[in-house]
Amino acid sequence: MEPVLKIESLKKYYGRSKNQTKALDGITFQVMPGEFLGIMGSSGSGKSTLLNCIATVIQPTSGTITMNGRAIQELKGAALADYRGKEIGYLFQNFELLDNLTGQENILLPLSLHGVPEKESKKRLEQLASYLEVKDVLHKFPAQMSGGQKQRIAAARALILKPGIILADEPTGALDSRNAKALMEKLLGLNRQEQATILMVTHDSNAASYCRRILFIQDGVIFHELRRSIPEESRQEFYTRILKVMAQLGGGSANVL
Amino acid sequence: MFFKLISRGSRRNRKENSLFFSSLLVSVLAFYMILSLSHQDVMIFLTRMESDAVDKLMTIIPVFYGLTLFILFFLIYYAGKYQLERRRHEFGVCLMLGMRRVRLFAMLLIEDLQSSLIVLIIGLPAAVLLSELVSLITARLVGIGIIGHHISFSFRAVLWTAAGFLLIKLMAFLILSGRISRQEIGSLLVETPDGVKKQMPALVYGASVLLGIFCLTVAYGLAIHGEAWSGVRQMGLTVFLGLLGTFAFFWGLRFPMELALRSGKHNRKLHVFHLRQIQETVIHRSSTLAICSLLILAALCCFGTGVSVFRFYGESEPHVLDYTFTDCEEEKDTEFIRQTLAAYQLDTCFSDLFEMRTGYIRTTEDHEHAFRMEPLMSALRELPASTDTEVLLNNLGYATYPHLIPLEDYNRLLAAAGLPKLTLDAKEAAIYMDSGFTNFERTKLLNRILETEPEAILDQETIHLTGTVQTTSLVTDRSITLAFALILPDEMFETYTQGTYNIYLNGILADEETEQDNLMSVISDLNQRLDKTGLSYESYLQNMGRQLFYMVAASYITIYLAIIFLIIANTVIGVQFLMSQQKTNRRYRTLIRLGAAYDVLCRSARTQINWYFGIPATVAAFSSLFGVRSLLGGLLSFDARSNLAEMMFLSAAMILGLCVIEYIYIAAVKRSSDRYLLTLMVPMREE
Repeated sequence: MEPVLKIESLKKYYGRSKNQTKALDGITFQVMPGEFLGIMGSSGSGKSTLLNCIATVIQPTSGTITMNGRAIQELKGAALADYRGKEIGYLFQNFELLDNLTGQENILLPLSLHGVPEKESKKRLEQLASYLEVKDVLHKFPAQMSGGQKQRIAAARALILKPGIILADEPTGALDSRNAKALMEKLLGLNRQEQATILMVTHDSNAASYCRRILFIQDGVIFHELRRSIPEESRQEFYTRILKVMAQLGGGSANVL
Repeated sequence: MFFKLISRGSRRNRKENSLFFSSLLVSVLAFYMILSLSHQDVMIFLTRMESDAVDKLMTIIPVFYGLTLFILFFLIYYAGKYQLERRRHEFGVCLMLGMRRVRLFAMLLIEDLQSSLIVLIIGLPAAVLLSELVSLITARLVGIGIIGHHISFSFRAVLWTAAGFLLIKLMAFLILSGRISRQEIGSLLVETPDGVKKQMPALVYGASVLLGIFCLTVAYGLAIHGEAWSGVRQMGLTVFLGLLGTFAFFWGLRFPMELALRSGKHNRKLHVFHLRQIQETVIHRSSTLAICSLLILAALCCFGTGVSVFRFYGESEPHVLDYTFTDCEEEKDTEFIRQTLAAYQLDTCFSDLFEMRTGYIRTTEDHEHAFRMEPLMSALRELPASTDTEVLLNNLGYATYPHLIPLEDYNRLLAAAGLPKLTLDAKEAAIYMDSGFTNFERTKLLNRILETEPEAILDQETIHLTGTVQTTSLVTDRSITLAFALILPDEMFETYTQGTYNIYLNGILADEETEQDNLMSVISDLNQRLDKTGLSYESYLQNMGRQLFYMVAASYITIYLAIIFLIIANTVIGVQFLMSQQKTNRRYRTLIRLGAAYDVLCRSARTQINWYFGIPATVAAFSSLFGVRSLLGGLLSFDARSNLAEMMFLSAAMILGLCVIEYIYIAAVKRSSDRYLLTLMVPMREE
């Protein structure tokens, strides 16, 4: 099976030689179709830079990112915009809903951006709204929604164009534990039922426990990987393992398991 | 370090916000222009010719200065608000780092003073140059040979400009910085859009739009039918309905926008987004938009009216006569004038001196039926109905006791004007109408009838009306005009006037006199010498001065106000847009994340700008069609109103011209917006 996303020797350096910061220093990994991959690491470890490189928000210094067989660094103009809108779905920590648009308008925004007729996605909208339980707030403005509703609207927006991969940047970061759990269950459901490929960056060990595989990044390099054995290992057991790694993370690479 | 911060801040303000900087420059230019008015060539000329009227106008200048100060305060306030808003985050950081509020205030004050001084250093020479240019252009338009050109620099105007500018700048600064420094650090650090306002039921907004349209229609009706000018109450009602209508219309606009959102085609790129953006603007700032629309309307009305008035009063008749000596009742009086002129050695200044006699029919006491021209009136009635025939029928209906002019005198006038002589047989008469009482169309109509040599009855004697309608001014004084007179062969004139008539002695300056210097200097010098003779006279320049005064008083000020209004309205709209764009920068960042390319964002912002400027400008342009017509109808004299159609056309052309200015403004704001969006394309670390 071909990977959805292939990252090879990805480097991103900031600044000149003397004061250079190596945000990513030769990262290589793959994401397979239908995978739910988590990226964990402390603040400044390079996980957001990695996500931004995949989302083409920033240009890597070197290395390649291949999405469905296409090197994304070579994309320009309309092809690049199409990649951002159609191949990836982005889920932000702060939802990033447009506060002057209703829930439905926010969800349909990518269609308008990429010239997709609304009729085609009407069924998809209904399906997503009902699955994510946001039907009641479709005609409300973000200011009239709860945090959980906002994030689920944002999730519907990320999914409306059936992207090849969903990039989630700390999706539970701004949610309380109840809403965070509800969101993660919905994401897991999407992953299992629709075979949606998800790449999630998170600090939250609880959210990470929903993933099937977790990469731990420190100082711009992958220093550890955890895989959940399904069905033998329960989510609780996996969570415990994550916590152990996180405890080690505080002590740096010398304390790696 | 503190001063380094200040000078950097000040430099950055100028570089990053050209709109703000140009607003300040405009203020300086506007102040200087109004204050240096008395030094303009035209005004210097007028002071010498029509000093009383000019003195009155000059007493209004401080009021205008005050008004300009007041209006420009808002311009500077808005531009300054935008300027400070974009630096909120920076102020928040400064305060977080422990800068005291007093120190922040001092920093901003010095920065403000520094930029004000730079504006004055650049603006004042520019203002002097512009004023000089305007002076030269108006001098050229009027005729530089007539009024001459002087340097219009005024030191007093420079001082007052600087004082006024610094005053309003300081006031705006105190209010704005006071507001900023009172805010919580947290709110300074976070840029938040205005959020969603509580909405009322759609029916309320729909009703508001309808009420607005109704009020505006009534106001337009009152304005265009002239009822508005029939009294203070009616005028007050018209203005009130106009204002209420505009505010109600803008307030209710969210209803049609909501309808457009629901029913529109949403497939176009970011269609919903920019409709929502515009809707937000309309919701949050409907009154600002209404005020801007009213300012644009005021500008369009002022400009249209000013230019039309300028055009009307600027249409000068051919210059034939230089002097007319009055106070002559008998032949010997004119002889006395000639002798007096000779005694003072002034007779050589004139190349020609000739009498112009006018008198009434003295052979009958029946003023109601002394003259009748029924065949001409019937011919007029038979012509297809038009405003011109209606006016002619009405005016000529009163011509039962006309003035009489002898052919000999009139032919001398024609000769002086370089026109062919008029020939009349016995029992023939030509019609004379001053150009103020007829126009090209009406003269053409009458001339066509006169070709048939219609009969007329002059004191029970049949005569024939012949030739063409004569319009050359009889004397220099343009306030002495004859609505209708008959030019008669000399014997007939003597018979009908029975030797009782007024005599005016017309004089034409010798060529050698006018060749030496500009006409104004020659006539001014001659006037001084003539004053010593004790003769009553009227000179060409006094007349011209009177006409110019109308032109300057009406058009200069209206055009000036138009420009100020237009600049303020456009700056406020532009600044508001850019401010809200910066406040909502997160939305644009999200769109970029969702795959919006730079050109898509620019297109969306450009559409918003088009709407943002377009809504108030369109409402204003539509209203101005009625406003200009009403102003022209209400303010112009009767004879000026006869050219209303032509003036309306001229006003429409001016409005079109102003739309071009509007377009230029829109283009400038679009450029600023594009530049800003480009800065958003660079990713920002948000942890």
